[in-house]
Amino acid sequence: MKKISRRRFVEGTSAGIVAVAAVPAVQAQQKTPPAAAEPATTTGANPSVPRTTIKINVNGVDRRVEVEDRWTLVELLRDHLQLTGTKIGCDRGECGACTVLVDGTPLYSCSQLAVWMNGRSITTVEGLAKNGKLDPLQEAFIEHDAPQCGYCTSGQLMIAKALLMKNAHPTRDEVRTAMTGNLCRCSNYNHYVEAVMAAGGTAPATGGGNAA
Amino acid sequence: MTPLKTVGHGTHRIDALQRVTGAAKYTSDLHLSGMLYARVLRSPHPHARIRKIDVSKAMALPGVKAILTHENCDTTWSSGDQLNQRKLFNNPVRFAGDPVAAIAAVDRHIAEDATHLIEVEYEVLPFLTDLEEALKPGAVAIHEGGNLSLNNQRQPVPQTYKRGNVADGLKAADHVFEDNFTSAHHNNAQLEMRVSVAEWSGDKLTVHAATQGIANCRTDIAKDLKLNVDNVRVISEYMGGGFGNKNQCQDSDLMAALLAKQAGAPVKLEFTRKEDFVAVHGRWSSRQSYKVGVKNDGTLTAIQFTALSGAGAYRKGSCDLSGTEIYQVPNLETSVSPVYTNTAVAANYRAPAYPQAVFGIESLMDDVAYALKMDPMEFRLKNMTRKFRDQTPYTSIGLEDCIRKGAEKFGWNQRWKPVAGSGDGPVKRGAGMAMGMFGSGLGRSSAVLRLDGQGQYHLHVGVTDVGTAAKTTMGLIAAEELGVPLEKVKVVWGDTDTCPYSVGESGSRTTVQTGMAVIEAVRDLKKQVAEKGAPKGNDVYTAMATTNPPPIQGASRNSFAAHFAEVEVNIETGHAIVTRFVSAHDSGRVVNPLTAQSQVQGGAIQGIGMALHEELLYDKRSGQPLNAGYYGARIMTHLDAPLVDVVWVETDEPYGPFGAKTLGEPTIIPTVAAVANAIHNAIGRRVKSLPITRDKILQALAKKGDVA
Repeated sequence: MKKISRRRFVEGTSAGIVAVAAVPAVQAQQKTPPAAAEPATTTGANPSVPRTTIKINVNGVDRRVEVEDRWTLVELLRDHLQLTGTKIGCDRGECGACTVLVDGTPLYSCSQLAVWMNGRSITTVEGLAKNGKLDPLQEAFIEHDAPQCGYCTSGQLMIAKALLMKNAHPTRDEVRTAMTGNLCRCSNYNHYVEAVMAAGGTAPATGGGNAA
Repeated sequence: MTPLKTVGHGTHRIDALQRVTGAAKYTSDLHLSGMLYARVLRSPHPHARIRKIDVSKAMALPGVKAILTHENCDTTWSSGDQLNQRKLFNNPVRFAGDPVAAIAAVDRHIAEDATHLIEVEYEVLPFLTDLEEALKPGAVAIHEGGNLSLNNQRQPVPQTYKRGNVADGLKAADHVFEDNFTSAHHNNAQLEMRVSVAEWSGDKLTVHAATQGIANCRTDIAKDLKLNVDNVRVISEYMGGGFGNKNQCQDSDLMAALLAKQAGAPVKLEFTRKEDFVAVHGRWSSRQSYKVGVKNDGTLTAIQFTALSGAGAYRKGSCDLSGTEIYQVPNLETSVSPVYTNTAVAANYRAPAYPQAVFGIESLMDDVAYALKMDPMEFRLKNMTRKFRDQTPYTSIGLEDCIRKGAEKFGWNQRWKPVAGSGDGPVKRGAGMAMGMFGSGLGRSSAVLRLDGQGQYHLHVGVTDVGTAAKTTMGLIAAEELGVPLEKVKVVWGDTDTCPYSVGESGSRTTVQTGMAVIEAVRDLKKQVAEKGAPKGNDVYTAMATTNPPPIQGASRNSFAAHFAEVEVNIETGHAIVTRFVSAHDSGRVVNPLTAQSQVQGGAIQGIGMALHEELLYDKRSGQPLNAGYYGARIMTHLDAPLVDVVWVETDEPYGPFGAKTLGEPTIIPTVAAVANAIHNAIGRRVKSLPITRDKILQALAKKGDVA
């Protein structure tokens, strides 16, 4: 029995085996209008994998990219735009390690197809620091020892950023509720909550968590 | 305890900036030129013989570059099984998830597609998922010699320990208590899935591994691939958690190396999240039986402990169970039998033998205390260990202070209810406590320290830093001994080409063992400076140290802890949450209180998940795992996590770097039992199997009794 991969399921096609490896055409343009996307070269034999050229803004930079329709956003970011700060912890919408902002909204980038991003602005962890200055959240994460192994940290930062953009001074429970879709197996939740509240100017004396 | 200048002060991680900017490069972030992507095909059957395997269609798929199966790969994975010859690809396959083939292709989609094109003909065999059934006469043998695994001396008998005479001890008792407890297999579930990137240059192999120990990983790879160890380099710059899951070398390291060899190109092999749950390993399950003798005044006279532990399909870990050692008792017998079943493999997960066994003994001791109308805390103060195995003094012991100071911080006297289950309303509150201990032995490790003409120190240590802040800890120890600020010490880590042997971040040994090597290297370098003056210009001084201290004579070196939990249980829905938690720890001197606090809070919250939620469930009829993944495992989230207060009991410890003892693993040892005891205190019923899920709580309340 042929299994249906998640990607193919997300993509909504059940076509037969398709085989194309791509070196994507990616151009970064900041001031000049985007150049035409170069056709992707293929190393596989089947060039029939549907491909689409999309225009996206990543961390303030306009890009025109030809993507395979089956690529997820996190795949585009990590494998083809070399933005590896965004991590894959499950690749199935369970853990939040891949959280990025799309037009300011936090989304699991493993559960978005890259083609859906046409015309949209994406912010990743690499886009948090501005002009060499860390975001206050990043400062607070360092100060409060928020990352242990650090693998979920980018996702925690992005969900926290989304929260603070909407609610500059969240309470402890607001932080915990907003961030509950972002797992940390080191379970450094107390320090994460503490750090976000410090960045929001509502720092408690000690960490976050269920209060008795 | 004398305060120190650098050690003992909360210090940010030296790599904190990399961790918050996305700049830290983990193994899966690597992209080597011409790199292939690999995937693994796994057995859908819990037990089957492979009759035929045909890879021709997969190999013909454009973009596929290499395929390994048991037919072209006979490589043994030594650290995958301590007793049996476990191959990378086994025939028969022994659990649903046992690897059948690995494929490398030009991208991961093609590799994934190719797994569906491999045709395998299986002869399906009878399978076992249950420990007791596996030991019944006539049960299908999963390994030669039967399903009772050998003990650690390779004999087909249980692992045993004995002192005194239990029969005499039980005879001398005024009361004898007997009970049974069980615990489930659950997963380490670290965020970074298993991943390896392998690259050959002639006969030299470089493996970028997500490993907890680069040195052991390297020697394991060399052994299994029959390479000279000098021809193997292991790099692990940043590692996304392991909790025991990534000790030594893993099958993914070997598969990636062999695929890369066959394809003539670098290979990245990533496991999926589901594979990480079913095909890597988790904590071994247990079936525990106790008999305890006690005098009217609460003095213990005997403990008898018999247990089965669930090894899964291979014997990757010790499968031991340790909890009784926290009690002072003259007569003790323990017997643990690891058993094979056709389920996911069990091996190390943070204090591998402890939290599940401590859950058993500490639940029973709680019941003993209630039965004798004693406060469980007083009962523990009366019976807690004072000497290791009743005879050997400890180098230092702060357990009593952990209990007393922890209880004070927690508010034990106000929160614990003398009548369990009392209180009105649907939400019942209760408090529980438990204690634990863990060995903190000295051992072999090395360090290299260089001082250049500009006054910069370079400390080379073979640590990987799995999230414990190990490299910061090493820097702090060096800075303290040198008498310089931390910024003067540049730590070099995570590469066997540039770093000497370290034990690896397992057994909570890095601070103690590699820390001592760092101190020795500093002393050597200081001597050189004293003799020759500081290096100038292009001069460089180098000091190397290998410490291999003999075992401490006449004393045992251990860390101790006492945990306190308060829960709220909704008796209408069975929902339990932990509302307050205190972890009190004696780990000697705390080198870095900031990152140590992260460890303690994280260990406790992990343990709460183990107590309330986590279990890898199997369908007994099909032998299939049912809930492999984060949703199914229900690991702790932001909303589940209570605030964990940390109490340090810094004993004056004569051994170890500045008197530091082990910390990482003790942080989870008493947690599970403390939560279980709090639930009992809240609802007046004892749930005797982990995890303590809603259905078990409701069942206990409905039956007006305890639930096995």
